Amino acid sequence: MNIVVLAKQVPDPEALVEPGGGGTRLDVEPKFVTNLFDEFALEEALRIREKHGGKIKVITLGSGKATEVLRTGIAMGADEALLLEDGAFQNGDGYSTALALSRAISKEPFDLILCGRQAIDDDRAEVGPMVAQFLGIPHAGSVVKLDVADGKAVAECLIEAGKEIVELPLPAVFTAQKGLNEPRVPLITGVMKAMKAAIPRVTPEDLGLSAAEIGAAGSKTKVEKYLSPKKKPKVQMIPGEPQQAALEAVRILIDVERVL
Amino acid sequence: METILAFIETKDGEPRKVSLELLSEGRKLAREGRFVLEAVAFGKVSETAKEKVCAYADRFVHITDPVLDLYTAEGYALALCRHAEATKPAVILAGATRIGRDFLPRTAVLLKTGIASDVTEIRRSEDSIKVIRPMYGGKVLAEVSFTSAPAIITVRPNSFGVEAPDGKAGEYTQSRLDIPPGDIRTQVKGVEGATRSKADLTEADLIVSGGRGLKSAENFKLIEDMAEVIGATVGATRSVVDAKWRDQEDQVGKSGKTVSPKLYIAAGISGAIHHIMGMDTSKVVLAINKDPNAIIFNYADYGIAGDALEILPLMTEELKKRMGK
Repeated sequence: MNIVVLAKQVPDPEALVEPGGGGTRLDVEPKFVTNLFDEFALEEALRIREKHGGKIKVITLGSGKATEVLRTGIAMGADEALLLEDGAFQNGDGYSTALALSRAISKEPFDLILCGRQAIDDDRAEVGPMVAQFLGIPHAGSVVKLDVADGKAVAECLIEAGKEIVELPLPAVFTAQKGLNEPRVPLITGVMKAMKAAIPRVTPEDLGLSAAEIGAAGSKTKVEKYLSPKKKPKVQMIPGEPQQAALEAVRILIDVERVL
Repeated sequence: METILAFIETKDGEPRKVSLELLSEGRKLAREGRFVLEAVAFGKVSETAKEKVCAYADRFVHITDPVLDLYTAEGYALALCRHAEATKPAVILAGATRIGRDFLPRTAVLLKTGIASDVTEIRRSEDSIKVIRPMYGGKVLAEVSFTSAPAIITVRPNSFGVEAPDGKAGEYTQSRLDIPPGDIRTQVKGVEGATRSKADLTEADLIVSGGRGLKSAENFKLIEDMAEVIGATVGATRSVVDAKWRDQEDQVGKSGKTVSPKLYIAAGISGAIHHIMGMDTSKVVLAINKDPNAIIFNYADYGIAGDALEILPLMTEELKKRMGK
């Protein structure tokens, strides 16, 4: 079983993020973590390999800090890593990022592709389904249970109320949702191995892609500017004893805000 | 004249609330921008649904095909792509629902075009459409433009109001696609636990959510009682779901659902960033927490520094009286 995990290093959920340079860029506090949902994808890959054997390759697109997610993957137990590192890959939208990743995946045979339901920085949730479409294979989104056997997979997907069970032939893409598993903490031996691991890099030419097809140039959308969300006015605390405060709260909701 | 195509998501043959929001917004864009508003739906559509949609749309195309009877991302993506290739819309609108966010990225690849997901505002200027979408869980907003057509936009439920239709009735047509069944490899085996009468959290107008401050699963009865009286949907924080007091489908926040109701009541919720990310576009927020310094108060319009276990039943009693129940 050839398993590919797409993973991304993202700013810590607690990191400060603000528009800078008059909205032309984002100023992000330099604290990074593995994207939460990608950890579920990594863990699931390990569990599938434990059951069915095979090889796990972790792929990311980025530079600098981005490689940390590959080392995390190896520390957890992945066999190989691959880094799409080139200026031309950078600052893409979902479309150009998914195109580059799908080309990198198809360089070698694959059976199963796992990734997080969404990256918690861009919040696009586009790359998983898009990679599947670029590769011409099915996908299952927001997966909370996955069983693989005999060239097919049965996935339980979280839907708005309840779960949907789908069966897909492999190869296929699965986007991991919270509830799929509890990601393991890497062992110290794994961390040591990861520190020493060589990380192969691919360039656009290696993937047969021109600079115009990828990154910002290949994007189909463009961020014109970044803005700060409207701040809520300062909270109005409702004073008084519980009884009094409760009555006043109801009065405000019905008579002032008219939301009830 | 260019076309705006609104994808109408149905549930048991009826359009979802977010679909009516799209139609209402689409009507507005059509008026201002001299667009034609076309609606498209797949699978089962009831008679009342046809009327509802035709009240807003100039055209309503209902596409049937055995492979569209049950939702699959592959089937819906292919069907929408085929339809868009034939009609060449300038904009495709869909709800940023589970389904919308699942299949529209595939449609974008098939049409070799861009998508902006989970949009909260559409800005139309002379010759272009720009959208606003939250990133980093709402810490920043991005203004996004399109360098390709059609511009595919999924819209966060409750971002637009539903205005009354302007009286004209659009034309309803039915068409068939004949997608070879072998082209769709995804097989839906079944659905579990999808029998819920209340509005789903993502589309709910009113939400009463509870956190650790509720102290136990049993005490969620107080949340349910209030929700019952005002017709709200119950939400919960991650720690409450992790403690198995509530099901995961109730979870609001980064690893749960993103909600945008008219009223969000946060009871016994401290305001962890994970939770805030899921509810910070709510219109009115009332927070109840014992700790007057709880972070949730930074994101609330109104606050009560008190014990949720005490305040909730008092409010519920008063709500019953005021709302005549």
